[in-house]
Amino acid sequence: MKPLQALTTIMLSLTAIIIAGSAVSCRPDEVDRYPKVVVLGFDGMDPKLCERMMDAGKLPNLDKLRKTGGFKPLGTTMPPQSPVAWASFITGANPGGHGIFDFIHRNPEEQCMPFYAAAETVPSDDGWEVGEHRIPLTFWPFQHNPTQTLLRRGGTPFWDYLDQAGIPVWIYDIPANYPPSKSEHGHMHCLAGMGVPDLLGGYGTYQFFSTDTPSLKREPGGVRKPLIFINDTAIATLTGPENSYLLKPASTEVRLQIHRHPTDRSARIEFQGNTVVLKEGEWSKWQKLSFELEMPSFLPNEDVSGICRLFLQQVRPELRLYVTPINIDPSDPGEQNITEPPEFITDIADELGLFYTAGFQEDHKALSNKLFTDTDYHSQADYVLKERLTLRNYALDHYDGGLLFFYFSSTDLQAHMFWWDSDEKHPTRPLEEAKKYHQTVVDLYTQMDDVVGETVDRFGDDATILVMSDHGFCNFRRQFNLNTWLRDNGYVQPSNCKSLINPRRGALVNWAETKAYGLGLNGLYLNMVGRERDGIVYPHEREALIGELTQKLLAIRDPQNNQPIIAKVYRSDEIYSGPFVATAPDLLVGYHRGYRASWSTTLGDMARNVISDNSSAWSADHCVAADQVPGVIFSNKPLLKREPALVDMAPTILDAYGVPRPDTMEGASILKSDAVTLRPD
Amino acid sequence: MDAVNWLLLNAGDAVLATWSAVKVGAAWAWSIVDTLLDPLLSVVLACLNPLCTKLGDLVYAILSPFPIWIGLTLLSVAAGLIALLAFRYTSNQTAIGRAKDDIKANLLALKLFKDELGVTFRCQLRLLWAIARLQRYMLFPFFVMLPPMLLLLAQMGIRHQWRPLQPGEQTNIELRLTDEAPTTDTTPTEPITLQPNPGLAEIVGVPGADRTVWRITAGSPGRHILQFHLGAESIEKELVVGTEFQRVSAIRTRHNWGAQLLHPAEPCLPADATVASIQILYPHVDSWIHGANWWLLSFFVISMATALIFKPLFNVRF
Repeated sequence: MKPLQALTTIMLSLTAIIIAGSAVSCRPDEVDRYPKVVVLGFDGMDPKLCERMMDAGKLPNLDKLRKTGGFKPLGTTMPPQSPVAWASFITGANPGGHGIFDFIHRNPEEQCMPFYAAAETVPSDDGWEVGEHRIPLTFWPFQHNPTQTLLRRGGTPFWDYLDQAGIPVWIYDIPANYPPSKSEHGHMHCLAGMGVPDLLGGYGTYQFFSTDTPSLKREPGGVRKPLIFINDTAIATLTGPENSYLLKPASTEVRLQIHRHPTDRSARIEFQGNTVVLKEGEWSKWQKLSFELEMPSFLPNEDVSGICRLFLQQVRPELRLYVTPINIDPSDPGEQNITEPPEFITDIADELGLFYTAGFQEDHKALSNKLFTDTDYHSQADYVLKERLTLRNYALDHYDGGLLFFYFSSTDLQAHMFWWDSDEKHPTRPLEEAKKYHQTVVDLYTQMDDVVGETVDRFGDDATILVMSDHGFCNFRRQFNLNTWLRDNGYVQPSNCKSLINPRRGALVNWAETKAYGLGLNGLYLNMVGRERDGIVYPHEREALIGELTQKLLAIRDPQNNQPIIAKVYRSDEIYSGPFVATAPDLLVGYHRGYRASWSTTLGDMARNVISDNSSAWSADHCVAADQVPGVIFSNKPLLKREPALVDMAPTILDAYGVPRPDTMEGASILKSDAVTLRPD
Repeated sequence: MDAVNWLLLNAGDAVLATWSAVKVGAAWAWSIVDTLLDPLLSVVLACLNPLCTKLGDLVYAILSPFPIWIGLTLLSVAAGLIALLAFRYTSNQTAIGRAKDDIKANLLALKLFKDELGVTFRCQLRLLWAIARLQRYMLFPFFVMLPPMLLLLAQMGIRHQWRPLQPGEQTNIELRLTDEAPTTDTTPTEPITLQPNPGLAEIVGVPGADRTVWRITAGSPGRHILQFHLGAESIEKELVVGTEFQRVSAIRTRHNWGAQLLHPAEPCLPADATVASIQILYPHVDSWIHGANWWLLSFFVISMATALIFKPLFNVRF
């Protein structure tokens, strides 16, 4: 090549680059191609508290929406539990249409074996057995099934119809959609929220190391491990995910070396070449961990990347170190798919760095187990909110039309621990303290009001803005043990049994004599012949038994104040319709405000007393009768439907884009009056 | 299937064992080379590094009006051109030309006489020989260009690999002691302290048997000299705080030519110091063109492209 030719080539290349760049920047603006609908989902935002605060001028932005568009209580599902309610939001159907009836379901073929309702992990049952390993070969001609997690929520999500219509959809932190449903047409971006497990496969397992833990202790939500210091240095083991390639699966581990300052209140923690120095009471930034899955010697080992934060709670006299549940690493999620499309999560992480990916981000279990103080929990929950606000900014910056949904868990998980709106005795705090912490919920609502204000200011009337919650809130003062009551009334036998499934609790139930049992937070099942493995109730006996149980449950009074405990007993065959009704509990117990199913009821255990005080830091709840804890709906457009409900939200969104409402959805647009939306037939 | 499994598992074990042996052997060989080269190269680098750093400062000061990626591009183009000219005058161009002609001729012969087995084999042998000759002619200019290129890359590395701490940003400073330093089981016998400094807004230190780690929060912008005291011994280390593009020295070590080559901005620690190294964990520069690790790729791509483009102009063959 001659020099002149070389220079000409360079000049031509530069010119081509400049022209191509100009062409891209002059691309027709797509911003206004699709109407904007922005939905802000505040889990558990309560209409009564909102109303009080708006009247007092403390929620100016929501109040502005109330005056310009509308504000109404939003009818929730029965039971008013988040996975159930958000699944109804997603599908526009009652629980009979999506199959989520509680946090916990049971498998009647195994009598009442409980499992998480919204997702199921199916382990690989075949593979190439070599040495101590079994490797699933997923390619032809072997086509073994790898271990996979399946979304159990049924029904068609509303975004599938938008996706089909070519409308961009951006969904952040949506509950009851893990693993995220697929986008057939490529117009949907979704980050899954509540339901996403941590790397250990649960819904948040913290690891707590301390010198005053005598021996390893597992507890709901975490594990405590002992620490022994020799010359101010201790070795600890952080448990990671199981190596499911092993024939006998074993947990992976990362070794922590903890050096305590000989005199000061600080320590340094070393692992995998990283060093974290913390003062007492400090949290670390997110730390990356790499868990090695050992493979047969002729294959390279696999690495699973996780992230965690460390909290040096105390240095002296006892050293206490809390490690958050190990979250899926958003910058390197590997096989763990928590977004649709799968690369969406790394796109977010490239811009924002590391953040909580597990569905339950606020570690309420650490507070309930008295590992966190109220202040510790508040600081951790506050950090979660800050992260989510950063994610919200990302969402707004990348939104250019179509539907944007953003979910906040803080209004739910802070309220569960800090809400207390009466002068009655609080389960764990003196009344003054209870009031002080309830104020944090009030402050949180003010922050959420700012979020609404920023959204309205950003879009004005260019967007339809919907601010909603799935349910409200109430105190949880007294707990009702449904199974104890059933046992004491002869529906569960023998009279001395202690549990439906857990032999460690004591005598187990005798299914051959048991007519009904409670599982989950609101579910009551009959032990039906032909459905339950050991069923004894024949179909012709069902009606009478339901009537008898309903009558007796409604008559129960709290001996403390002679008030009724149960407001309503719902029949699933009356309130549900759709393909999944047969798997629903037969009855749903709707408690009065202040009451809830006891902790032991949820997993089928029995306590000594039928009714007792709630003694947990989880001092507020919403698993009562649906009409006692409606959610909220605000809009900058007039709310014309008289009694809007969660099932109306999907039709409302579809209607905003002129997409016809499918028959599986039972609601109607809340922005149209009931008269208009009535069908001619 | 059991036989296949047995074979695979044993083959895998054998490969792993071989790989371990290779690593051990390589480490041993390197330690010998290191021991042999260190007395000479360490002294040479101790003399050259201050000069190179001053020259680097001057060059980057000239480039400072431009965006960083343009500066990197200009520097890479200049390096490519200089390397091309150095190659032109240090290599045997005639011999290289002959070797290249032989390669072309034998490739052509392979294509033309692909049905002649004997010719094909002979051509392949000649081709291999020509390539070997070409490689041999490349060796001398390569060794001539290697030292200045390494010095240049080191100067670029201390500017493009890490960035200064921003005010309020946290990082760790790690001070490692030599094996000879007197320690108890957990801490040095003499307390190690990091003196307060305007560049440090907060210091939290935790000692250990072999090293002490401080978590620091960067204070006011500027080039600060940190003072570490270990008993009567006093050691200094530069800390850079600021938002501008400037060089940083991540590690200060005792005499070792490898460390001196990679971290040329500060003089070595005294030979009799009980401190082996002081490292500031500066954040990496975040850029796909001139940021950490990418700058090296950008440099090689641009300098190679420059050499290829200007090869005809300077009539260079390689």
